Amino acid sequence: MLAPVIELRGLTKRYRSRTAVDALTVTVEPGRVTGFLGPNGSGKTTTMRCVLGLTRPTEGTATVLGRPYRELPRPMRSVGALIDPRARHPGRTAYAHLLALAQSNALPRSRVDEVIELVGLDAVAHDRVRGFSLGMGQRLGIAGALLGDPDVLLLDEPVNGLDPEGIRWVRELLRALADEGRTVLVSSHLMSEMEDTADHLVVLGCGRLLADVPMADLLGAHSAVRVRSPQAPVLASALQRAGGRVELEIDGALRVEGLDCDQVGDVAFLAGVRVHELGRVTASLEAAYLELTGDDVEYRAAPL
Amino acid sequence: MSRRAPFSAVVASEWTKLRSVRSTWWCTALYLAVVGTGGWFGAAITQSAPRADIAVSSALTGFGFGQVLVVVLGVLAVTAEFRTGMVLASLTAVPGRGRLLLAKTVVVATWTVVLTAVLAVFCWFAASRLTAVEGGVPLTDPGVLRQLGLQVAAATLTAVLAVGLGALLRSSAGALGTALGAVLVLPPVLAIVGSELSVRIARALPVFRVGDEAFFSVQTSWQSGLVVLGGWAAVAWVLGAVLLSRRDV
Repeated sequence: MLAPVIELRGLTKRYRSRTAVDALTVTVEPGRVTGFLGPNGSGKTTTMRCVLGLTRPTEGTATVLGRPYRELPRPMRSVGALIDPRARHPGRTAYAHLLALAQSNALPRSRVDEVIELVGLDAVAHDRVRGFSLGMGQRLGIAGALLGDPDVLLLDEPVNGLDPEGIRWVRELLRALADEGRTVLVSSHLMSEMEDTADHLVVLGCGRLLADVPMADLLGAHSAVRVRSPQAPVLASALQRAGGRVELEIDGALRVEGLDCDQVGDVAFLAGVRVHELGRVTASLEAAYLELTGDDVEYRAAPL
Repeated sequence: MSRRAPFSAVVASEWTKLRSVRSTWWCTALYLAVVGTGGWFGAAITQSAPRADIAVSSALTGFGFGQVLVVVLGVLAVTAEFRTGMVLASLTAVPGRGRLLLAKTVVVATWTVVLTAVLAVFCWFAASRLTAVEGGVPLTDPGVLRQLGLQVAAATLTAVLAVGLGALLRSSAGALGTALGAVLVLPPVLAIVGSELSVRIARALPVFRVGDEAFFSVQTSWQSGLVVLGGWAAVAWVLGAVLLSRRDV
């Protein structure tokens, strides 16, 4: 049995009066994209910094490939990280920035050219980073993460500031990397993005673990059957007798949980009820997520 | 895979970082200009000197102010990482923080040695052309070589002190203020005050040295001057390295 790729055990980080990460125990598996979700201030970035040895946990441990990050011999060859789009000197060219990183891990100079081409920064490789747009900056950060051809990728908000084309590019890149058997942990607050990208979700709220589930399970747990009938009251009681939880929706349709489409159709048939619409409604990740994090939002706007 | 990247790889990386930002080249150009012109004028106004090493000493005067640029170079090499956020990428690539600081120090110190050695030879050249000394100013004169060697040593220790203070204080303004206060501002002030206590404090400060003299401060022997400067550099560097390793970034 190989050591888990990323393992957090009771990871806790307390600042003076605030607990940023609270007893987090999570294992991140290879071969899939793990989405790391949470509202702002929920501890995602602090957790990633602990994994990378940038921040020292107050309690607990974070290990990568079975050991603390600081003990990895040539970390960029094992772990690629995008922590902060500002993690570069604005006066340096993209090429010099990547070259300095490559040299520190004894990676060949040719890798710099390869990743520059891979992320599509060829035309601006010798420009100072100062003039880069947010999107170009993200591409540079991703190039840095890919330099060592690592098996593990930690990306904090990689699509922040990217245009739709860039977002699709990141999504396809992450998918491809995971399909090659690599471990991909990607944080985001863009739920719609996660829905298309991640296979597995780790959800944080106020530093605590709220969910560690396959994407399909989370969405499934929050999905339902929608049925519309001119004889709604009759159908509703029949469905309740069959074990469904029924709610009346605003437009008069019924929302049924606990039964699938086939069962609802059969119940209606046996009750002799006419059905005008029957279908499955998959909860959006956004709805599932809001339900999970509802009570754990640290910064909330006051009601208007 | 199982072995760490050699230290030379980290040094190469730090050299790439140093040479790829403009501030390095501004500091280098100004250092050469200030010390070079200072040396030429220092030699030109010293029409004659009784000994070769005294002639060279006058030509080294430009280092008194020029070493400010060494301080700026050393401080910025560290604090720019914190100011820009680059330190996150640097420490992710090289998690051994002491190793990273050591590589940075080696690069800054080596660059300072090279520049200072070139300037010292230029100052000797100015003295040999412009200052009349009986028997000339041969480069091989032990007195001359000692002055030039002391200058290279003093500038290099100043660079190490600056790097250490940068790691210790992390802010450009804080580290530059502290360093310049200790090497350039406080020593002459204390020397002017002249009380027994102020003289004693002045002797304990890492004042800029010009050849074998303390610049605008209470004079001390070059041996004790180097020991004081070296002590400050060592303490600042070690404290900087320890705090860098302990603190979160």
